[in-house]
Amino acid sequence: MNLNQISTLIKKEFLLEFRQKASLGGILVYVAATVFISALSFKGQIHTHEWNALFWVILLFASVTISSKSFLKETKGLGLFNYVYYSARTFIMAKIIFNMVLMLIISLITLFFYIWFIGGNIQNFSLFFITLALSSTGFAGVLSLMSAIASKANNNFALMSILSFPVLMPMVMISIRLSRQAIDGLSWSVSYDFLLILAALNVLVIMLANLLFPYLWND
Amino acid sequence: MINKIYFIAFLFAALVTNAQEATQPQMADGMRAEGKIYVVVAVMAVIFLCVAAYLFRIDKKLKKLEDDLKNNTSTSSVTDKEKKK
Amino acid sequence: MKNWYKILSVLLILYTIFLGLLGSVPRLDILNETIRNLYYHVPIWFAMLFMMSVSIWYAIKYLLSSNAVHEVKSFTAAKVGFFLSIPGIITGCLWAKFTWGTYWTFQDPKLNGVAIGILIYMAYFILRSSITDELKRARISAVYNIFAYVMLIVFIMILPRLTDSLHPGNGGNPAFGKYDLDNNMRLVFYPAIIGWICFSWWIFNVKNRIAQLNLKLNDQ
Repeated sequence: MNLNQISTLIKKEFLLEFRQKASLGGILVYVAATVFISALSFKGQIHTHEWNALFWVILLFASVTISSKSFLKETKGLGLFNYVYYSARTFIMAKIIFNMVLMLIISLITLFFYIWFIGGNIQNFSLFFITLALSSTGFAGVLSLMSAIASKANNNFALMSILSFPVLMPMVMISIRLSRQAIDGLSWSVSYDFLLILAALNVLVIMLANLLFPYLWND
Repeated sequence: MINKIYFIAFLFAALVTNAQEATQPQMADGMRAEGKIYVVVAVMAVIFLCVAAYLFRIDKKLKKLEDDLKNNTSTSSVTDKEKKK
Repeated sequence: MKNWYKILSVLLILYTIFLGLLGSVPRLDILNETIRNLYYHVPIWFAMLFMMSVSIWYAIKYLLSSNAVHEVKSFTAAKVGFFLSIPGIITGCLWAKFTWGTYWTFQDPKLNGVAIGILIYMAYFILRSSITDELKRARISAVYNIFAYVMLIVFIMILPRLTDSLHPGNGGNPAFGKYDLDNNMRLVFYPAIIGWICFSWWIFNVKNRIAQLNLKLNDQ
């Protein structure tokens, strides 16, 4: 693993992402449209717990959509170049970090739209933000590996969601619990345990992705 | 006479279960007293034994198939070698 | 004697059928006579978990050795585990209906864990069937198998912290330790676990040999 190579890879990813305005804009429109539809269907009558659950469902689908195309580009000629030039671990780390940043940005934008359209009152915003940051790291770790798997299997979006939803479940459950505590404004001491579990889960997921990705890469 | 004995046994069983119901959680004591529980046990045991015997037979047939295949491949490889010679 | 575990499994399960129904059990409210389901429902889950672990063991062995035989074993073990989850879930539903009043509840972490486990295995089978290239399929499904298993174990471990359980031993329910202390039950429960694990291994053995024969025939 080489830090220089990772940073060049991440830079290249961002460059590609911003050059292709359609893909990033597509996700933004997707998020805005989903939030708008939910706002219309709930008509402002929504309790905090449903508010929370709906937010995470939207975020989950957005995350899967973002990451499902992260290995799409690697199937053609460029992939061969990357394969020769970079080691598998460097490559997956770059993907995970890139996806993490992208997911954090998208989740903040989703939150912005969500509060704008549906409203909401988060009492402990810093806890909510930390939960978002930690969960987007974990989501990035899981979904990068899953999209690598799905890209080897004909790159099917349905397959991608079938594979990743059950695996994402532990993280989603903890994140929902944490964000509920943030909304209710419970004291920090209640949430330390869960924050620690979520952080440990992130470390575990990223380690597993590092361990397993080389076997997908070398075929 | 036999009917009477059955009747008394039944009464006794009913009494026992009633006495226990008053103080303790209800269990299938009547079924035990009448010996019907042995029917349940026998049925379950027979079903399981049939399944186990079936699995044994499949195992045996598979063993035979494995041996056949092993002999076949070894003989065919021998014939291949002979052909090459 | 190569078949010792097959005979042992049959004897042990027969033993649990006899003593499980005829032996004495503690008289408890709500559970009543259904406490005996402990001898049949729980060992099947143990056997399923055992088969899943076998599947992971062979998946790791495959990734380290690239020997197709191990991958076939891993797939077969996953199939046997999935099969065992069916009687496990049906006996559990019946028991839940009798004691908790519903067939299924989302309040219980063990039930949720089981549901996620079944979803993961379905995803694994779908993934396997969607790839046609054999080498690719073996590698990718082994990777997914390992990753999903670790996440499932994590899920089962952390979930009880998130929600209260209706199962004994969690969330203020009377623990199974209370019945385990009953030596009569322990005398049936432990052999039942060993018996079902041996039985599942036997099924795995037969299915695996069929799969290996198929593999050999395809190679020729």
